[in-house]
Amino acid sequence: MPVVSVDSLTKTFRVPVRESGLAASVRSLFNREFRHVEAVKAIDFTIEPGEIVGFLGPNGAGKTTTLKMLTGLLYPTSGSASVLDHDPSLRERELLKRLALIMGNRNNLNWDLPALDSYELQRAIYEIPKDQYASRVESFVELLDLGALIDKPVRNLSLGERMKVEIGGALLHHPEVLFLDEPTLGLDVTMQQRIRTFIKEHSRKTGATVMLTSHYMADIVALCERVIVIHHGRIIYDGALSNLADQFAGYKTITVTAEQLTPSMESYGSVMSVAAQVATVRVARAEVSAVARRMLQDMSVLDISIAEPPIEDVIADVFDSSEPET
Amino acid sequence: MRAMRLLGTHWRIAAMNELQYRANFFVQLLHSGLSLVTGLIAIWLVFQYTPSLGGWSQPELLIVMGIHIIVGAVLRSFIEPNMRRLMDDVELGTFDYVMTKPVDPQILASIRELRVWHLVDFVLGGLVLGYGMIQLSTTTSALDVVAFGATLLAGVLMVYCVWIMITSTAFRVVRSQEVLNLFEGFYQTGRWPVTIYPVWLRGTLTFVIPLAFAITVPAEALSDRLSAATVVLAMSFAVVIVVVSRAVWRMNLKHYSGASA
Repeated sequence: MPVVSVDSLTKTFRVPVRESGLAASVRSLFNREFRHVEAVKAIDFTIEPGEIVGFLGPNGAGKTTTLKMLTGLLYPTSGSASVLDHDPSLRERELLKRLALIMGNRNNLNWDLPALDSYELQRAIYEIPKDQYASRVESFVELLDLGALIDKPVRNLSLGERMKVEIGGALLHHPEVLFLDEPTLGLDVTMQQRIRTFIKEHSRKTGATVMLTSHYMADIVALCERVIVIHHGRIIYDGALSNLADQFAGYKTITVTAEQLTPSMESYGSVMSVAAQVATVRVARAEVSAVARRMLQDMSVLDISIAEPPIEDVIADVFDSSEPET
Repeated sequence: MRAMRLLGTHWRIAAMNELQYRANFFVQLLHSGLSLVTGLIAIWLVFQYTPSLGGWSQPELLIVMGIHIIVGAVLRSFIEPNMRRLMDDVELGTFDYVMTKPVDPQILASIRELRVWHLVDFVLGGLVLGYGMIQLSTTTSALDVVAFGATLLAGVLMVYCVWIMITSTAFRVVRSQEVLNLFEGFYQTGRWPVTIYPVWLRGTLTFVIPLAFAITVPAEALSDRLSAATVVLAMSFAVVIVVVSRAVWRMNLKHYSGASA
């Protein structure tokens, strides 16, 4: 039984069109023209219990719109969504109690209050029994290292510290489904890692299903076995992260170290970098073994390695190659 | 029941936190004291020239003023801070978090803030009201007091309903802060009984911004001039405005879910 299932989900926004200039602005007061923007176009997918799914796409691809439809913040224009067997757009209390939404760029906790006070409010809102609440706070304090943070007003915390207390607060009610929109936005590498580890661990322990968007591929690689790639409102890939490169990157990279490189490295493929003895070349998948063999014949090779292209590059290629439909 | 518990938790925490800032208490005391003194001077000036203002004697006007201060305290400690926060939330996009909580968004949005120090005005308003009552020549029956309490509650509820309607327009036109400031200006007119104003303003203060119901009507209850018809009108209007404001809230909220990106 899937936790999240989405069927031909579509969202069209009606956006007022306004030309530049004062005259146009005044005209638009009386006669407003609208343009329809299809942010999400008939997407389908399902997510099984306990899965951690990465939701990828460039800015404006429809990620946040989809998350908002799944959390009942936006009504779909057509199609349907189901989360834990509820229609999210009805915003039933039974459903809302079981999910959580965390947006990296928006604060949930009250700035003026210490996080612990905001936690207390969460306890009242989600009706968490006192003993469970106490043990959860204790475990979050330990896992996220919140000891010195939860007594201070949130406004006095650094961005990373704030995100840690935010995440703690959002998970106090042990949501069964967790929607994370850019949870590590703007954080330094150590803090990103800490938050990733925590999310992974929390999902493992509580069995929570997680859907996550991020611009940091490291988040995705660390957390998600499965990714859904959305571009211009359509899903262009849904499957294992490890197969993404197979499907979209028609090439691998060969890094070769030789006593002396041949001057014409371009003959092997497109050269990505070249130093005194080391060169990296991008080679079409089908030709990889032939090219490697030629390299070994042409030069006295000290070391050679063949690798999948970095996931960032694959994703960038995916977004570049699939043009919007008109 | 559940809403009351939520309210209790929110207020307890808000109070605990604000009580840490003692300086605010003295600032508030000074502010309230000043506006009390200017209010009293205005009344004193008026009665230098006339024994009654539109049929209201000096003690009766003190009662109006006391109620004006008390309702103002409710407004500034409970209603206004919540409405401002709601508008900020809509502007920042953090209202999404209110919407994803398993609580009615209108209830949650209306109970999150409490400005403890404005409660100073409760005490001051009570003192002015009490003093006016002592000076009064007529006697006040228990029924009058009950009518006073009921009409005051209904009046405050009406003021809240108007605010929630104004504030929920924020879901459509994100910047509606200015409207709140306008309301504050109107509120100052409530320190005098609405019966002294011209008909058009009286109508506005009764049915558009129901200060007549929140201030003048309870004052009428204590000054022996409240008619049964007024009580019925006040209670019926309260019911109507509760229903209407809820509908307006829902309609505006629907707009939020329909269009925001």
